[in-house]
Amino acid sequence: MLRNFMKRPEAGAFAAFLITYLFFALATPGTGFVSVNGTAGWLNLAAELGIVAIPVGLLMISGEFDLSIGSTVGASSMILALGTNQYDMPIWPMVFLALAAGGLIGLANGLAVVKTKLPSFIVTLATNFIVIGATMGVSRLIANVTSSSIVASDSAKFVFAARWGQANISILWWLLVAYIGYRVLSRSVFGNWIYATGGNLDAARGAGVPVQRVKISLFIATGLAAALVGILQGVQWNSGNATYGMGFVFQAPIVVVIGGVLLTGGYGSVTGIVLGTALFGVISSGIFYTGWNTDWIQLFLGLLLAAAVLANNYVRRLALSSK
Amino acid sequence: MKLFKSVLAAAAVTIGLGVASPAVSNDEGPILVVSGPLSWPFFAAVKKGFDDAAEIFDVDYQYIAVTDTSNMTSDYPRLLQQAISREPRMLLVGEFFPDGMDPLIKEATAAGIPVLIHNSGQTLWEGNGSIGFVGEDPYQMGYKAGQIQADAGVTTGLCFNQVPGNPTVEERCNGYVAAMKEAGKETIYQTIGTGDATNPQAMTQAIKGSLQANPQIDGIYTLNAVPAMSALRAVDEVGRKGEIMVGTADLSNEALLAIKNGDLAFAMDQQPYLQGFMSIQIAHQYLNYGLHPIGHVKTGPLVIDSSNVDETLKVNKEHAGVRGAS
Repeated sequence: MLRNFMKRPEAGAFAAFLITYLFFALATPGTGFVSVNGTAGWLNLAAELGIVAIPVGLLMISGEFDLSIGSTVGASSMILALGTNQYDMPIWPMVFLALAAGGLIGLANGLAVVKTKLPSFIVTLATNFIVIGATMGVSRLIANVTSSSIVASDSAKFVFAARWGQANISILWWLLVAYIGYRVLSRSVFGNWIYATGGNLDAARGAGVPVQRVKISLFIATGLAAALVGILQGVQWNSGNATYGMGFVFQAPIVVVIGGVLLTGGYGSVTGIVLGTALFGVISSGIFYTGWNTDWIQLFLGLLLAAAVLANNYVRRLALSSK
Repeated sequence: MKLFKSVLAAAAVTIGLGVASPAVSNDEGPILVVSGPLSWPFFAAVKKGFDDAAEIFDVDYQYIAVTDTSNMTSDYPRLLQQAISREPRMLLVGEFFPDGMDPLIKEATAAGIPVLIHNSGQTLWEGNGSIGFVGEDPYQMGYKAGQIQADAGVTTGLCFNQVPGNPTVEERCNGYVAAMKEAGKETIYQTIGTGDATNPQAMTQAIKGSLQANPQIDGIYTLNAVPAMSALRAVDEVGRKGEIMVGTADLSNEALLAIKNGDLAFAMDQQPYLQGFMSIQIAHQYLNYGLHPIGHVKTGPLVIDSSNVDETLKVNKEHAGVRGAS
């Protein structure tokens, strides 16, 4: 049974998560890192990244990248801000407009990638600049600002920014996105198509998999997820900002790879991505509980990430070689 | 022969002048402005100042800035170099990265292009041949904040820097630490990973972690309005609301409302609008009449606290973008 588990893509991420969590639990005695509130802290951090990391991971399994997520987060928060603050619109229509914008950006990415056959790494990097540039330009034309307050109704505040103790509702959104991602990838025909598309594109096409539809759908999903994160952050912090989310551009692929997804596609799991995200949340929040000089923080973060990916890789090789 | 020589010399001088200072003598071309990224609300307000003054004084100008803020240290000297090679009538520069930008400014002034520095470069403008400086002293901005917190009885102050590596912003923490030290107080300097500079959730968790690791902290100074809101939430989450004095540099509508509510003690305003407006005004008067203020024109810090927050909020509502927040 253990051997069966070890063969799964998430085994390495699970081992790395456990080791890292224990490390911080032991390195930060009496600071409340392992308390309910401390746990809520790193979960809040992981949730926002995790929502966008899951569709990004599925997309990477299908063999493509999406680096436009960062500016989509910012754009969606600014749509809420400009609509509710400058035009006095109620928030719900703006929420749907923000999601529609995210979906459209994804559709544009998807069409551009399958039609031009250019690497999605470059196409979506370009989209990232186009979207943040358009967001800033339009915001300045409309309101002469690039960050603005958001006016949210009670119902919108509940759905996107409710808190229980110090745990944000974004954690539930993360679980929901993870559940949908899991059903799609592991329990549906579409999931098999994703693996096939990323594993061997020509064979998949030959076997009748609609590879273009698979890719376009996944690009739309990342756009929608990024827009959702923009809405969550915007409502939570009562303000939109064109630069929200820029950190996710590389953090999302990082946690996906920590979670056991192969950079070349065709291999990975949603559970692994969730564990990779949780690991990142633990590291980037736990490190501040140590009270160490923060100039060194990125060094530790880098070393821990490298160690996590190596451990991950080692466990996977071990598992695959021992028949 | 003598006459011929002096005519020749006079002609050479005239031609020399004509070549060296085409900027003052003709009205062609715009004034070039190399300033901060417009994705920052702060520079949005600086630009509003430029725009308003340009309209009032009927001045043609062009704003040049980076859009991608990840390589600013090398991007800004490059932008400045391109601006200089266009031989502008006048150059208004934010000297954010002196190591790369100062030699270029010296080149420009030596070539006869009039330069006025704004926002950053308060200690350099005299040495590089510029006609003056309009802006704040980031060290003083932090120093004033440190004094306020020390006077209020803070014993251990945390300076939270969300953009490590930016020398101007770092100066604010240096000023804060110096003022606290002079008053015999303890300080902790904290930074965050560079990818998280615009992630309020990550900043909250970072500050929360530091507060848990160092329970003696009873004062926080943040360097921008977004981390200020993250600091307030972190203080709330560790259950020490009312015990930790939080102050910030720069404004936002949220921060102003927090001052009104009493959650945030103060915000240091360097009045970015004035930096843009006065730069264009000075440029206009210099190009047309040869007039300019002598020395450092200070636009900050103006301390915004419960005594003047209502007035600031009112301006913010009626004139979006002027206070650098909305």
